[in-house]
Amino acid sequence: MSDVKAPTLDGSTRPRPVEPAVAEPAERTRRLWGLLALVTIPVLLAMAFWYAPEDANQGAAQRIFYIHVPSAWIGFLAFAVVFVASIAFLATGARRWDDLAASSAEVGVVFTSAVLITGPLWGRPVWGVYWTWDPRLTSFLMLWLIYLSYLVLRGYVPEPIRRARFSAVLGIVGFLDVPIVYLSARWWRSEHPTQFVVEGGRLPDQMLVTMLVGVVAFTFLYLYLLSVRRRVARLRAAAELEEVVR
Amino acid sequence: MSWLAPALWLARKDLRLEMKTRDVVASVGLFVLLVVVTASFAFPTGGAGREGVAAGVLWMSFLFAALLGMGRSMAIEKEDACLEGLLVSPAPREAVFLGKLLTNLGFTFAVEVVILPVFIALLQLRPGGGLWLLVLSAFLGTLGLVTVGTLFAAMAVNTRGREAILPLLVMPVSVPIMVAAVKVSQAGFAGGMGEGTLPWLLLMVGYDALFLLVALATFHHVTEE
Amino acid sequence: MRERPALGISLEQVTKAFGAQLALDHVDLEIPQGSFVAVMGANGAGKTTLLRTIAGIAVPTSGSVRIAGVEMRRAGPRLRALIGVVAHETMLYADLTVAENLRFHAGLFGLAHPREAVERASERLGVTPVLDRPVRALSRGTRQRVALARALLHDPAVLLLDEPYTGLDEAAAASLSELLEELATPERIVLVTLHDVVRAMAGPRRLVVLSGGRVALDTPIDGRSEDIAETYLGLLRQEVRR
Repeated sequence: MSDVKAPTLDGSTRPRPVEPAVAEPAERTRRLWGLLALVTIPVLLAMAFWYAPEDANQGAAQRIFYIHVPSAWIGFLAFAVVFVASIAFLATGARRWDDLAASSAEVGVVFTSAVLITGPLWGRPVWGVYWTWDPRLTSFLMLWLIYLSYLVLRGYVPEPIRRARFSAVLGIVGFLDVPIVYLSARWWRSEHPTQFVVEGGRLPDQMLVTMLVGVVAFTFLYLYLLSVRRRVARLRAAAELEEVVR
Repeated sequence: MSWLAPALWLARKDLRLEMKTRDVVASVGLFVLLVVVTASFAFPTGGAGREGVAAGVLWMSFLFAALLGMGRSMAIEKEDACLEGLLVSPAPREAVFLGKLLTNLGFTFAVEVVILPVFIALLQLRPGGGLWLLVLSAFLGTLGLVTVGTLFAAMAVNTRGREAILPLLVMPVSVPIMVAAVKVSQAGFAGGMGEGTLPWLLLMVGYDALFLLVALATFHHVTEE
Repeated sequence: MRERPALGISLEQVTKAFGAQLALDHVDLEIPQGSFVAVMGANGAGKTTLLRTIAGIAVPTSGSVRIAGVEMRRAGPRLRALIGVVAHETMLYADLTVAENLRFHAGLFGLAHPREAVERASERLGVTPVLDRPVRALSRGTRQRVALARALLHDPAVLLLDEPYTGLDEAAAASLSELLEELATPERIVLVTLHDVVRAMAGPRRLVVLSGGRVALDTPIDGRSEDIAETYLGLLRQEVRR
């Protein structure tokens, strides 16, 4: 039963949106992240292939670890951002928090997909199976599904403020769920012994350094993609406004 | 204004409505019964270790029951703007949530109470002393599902997809409670508390408590326009 | 002893946005106790949103809605106890009887004497004969009266009606007008949205016209019906032109 706007009596332009205009993430910051990503990712790849030693047991396939683990970190970080932004939105009602949450979800799902793709790619040559119900992998599968349900929900709510509210609630519930999922995946697994333990143990220094470089590089990539996506969200909102005024 | 009184009135109203129309229990009950019978054909009924399979199938059917019931119950409120009637009333939003929660719990329990004995009989299970554990797991598990489901149902009916997207929202988030419920039910079917059963029970209690709080805190955001 | 603030509805710069569209655009409105207000405007002008904002279902994007001096946002349940709403839809459960519907709402509203309240309300609205019939079986006019009975159960100080005359025949409409006049006492506020200018002039004592989410006209109706009707038609003419 929402009312559609009707033209004013005197035809004058009406005062436009109620929220104060929000500054776009500075063009320069976005370029900075992009540049940093552009620089660090090749470094990561170089290190992954030449600097880090080859794993005695797993061979060359182990190198995918340097993509897999940083992706996992970012996949989780992105959802933490969704969580915080969701709370901020419900608390303040400011649309920019919803833009942030939506953007982070979209970028986060990409990284999480990377985890789910690199996992089996790693698993097959090394352990002979594409998938295991290893708690971390399982948790990421669930995280991925929660991300998807978040994005699908957004697709089903055309009105922006209601969409933001619903997404925020799902974002909060989903994020709180993730540690519980991990816990249940760990306990469940303990009754089905598997043939490996992905705990990391004590990594040789070179591997550790490479992995950390990976985390840093992927963080820059995340920040870059996030700012690009937020810009799109802002442009879209502005376009909505244009249409209505016309 | 208190929360409990309006919630009980709401649940009572739903019960009366259901008794008149038999809308929810009939369709949901029949569907779940079909699931159970079909599953009994599909899975081996004899043999050791069948408690695990049985628990899994049981909870799939309980999940369907809960999802269908919650979806239908919220859809009824959407007709003739009855949900708005609730929101316009002096009753606090939390009471409306609690009322729908009680209704959904009631419906789902009603279906479960019928399904469980049928299940035990069809699959020739012998829970014996584990029956109390079965009932407890049914209660805690259903509570968890229905808490999250009622919150999401209020959202779902206000989207383009209506109540059809409810399963999509509930299922990922409900995985931990489902897994725990299956584990505890398995122990129940096998005769009683096993070695690892207690942590699962605690997880269920923790899940229920956490999401009940979250749902109560966020429900008014979901119902605001 | 604290004086109870006079019961009145106060909208201050209330704006309600749906996405980029403003259903209400910085609306300022003071409605003191004892008002009987007709709210008119084209479809989409904001009438329904205005009512929903006062009723507490819609939360303003900015600005404040106060009833008896208390902000709606802060004291929802307490203020809603003062408000009765009759909307486009009946808000009644079609498969339950009139009595069951009323009894449910009386309980939901937390009334001390639900049975008496139901009796009183159904007597007043003349629906006692149909108490045991399911709402589904009633005519539109009768359903309306049950909806109104529901809204009056808790004897609210504010009565909001959204296009109650739609779909009513002449007799039912006349009876509704009579009832609203009765209800519009000095202690109450009655707010009706409608399309019919003649009806708007007939009972209400104040006319508010919305257009594009803004208040285009706000005038007391005190016998100058012809002039007011002229002005209103003028507004309509302008709207048609664009």
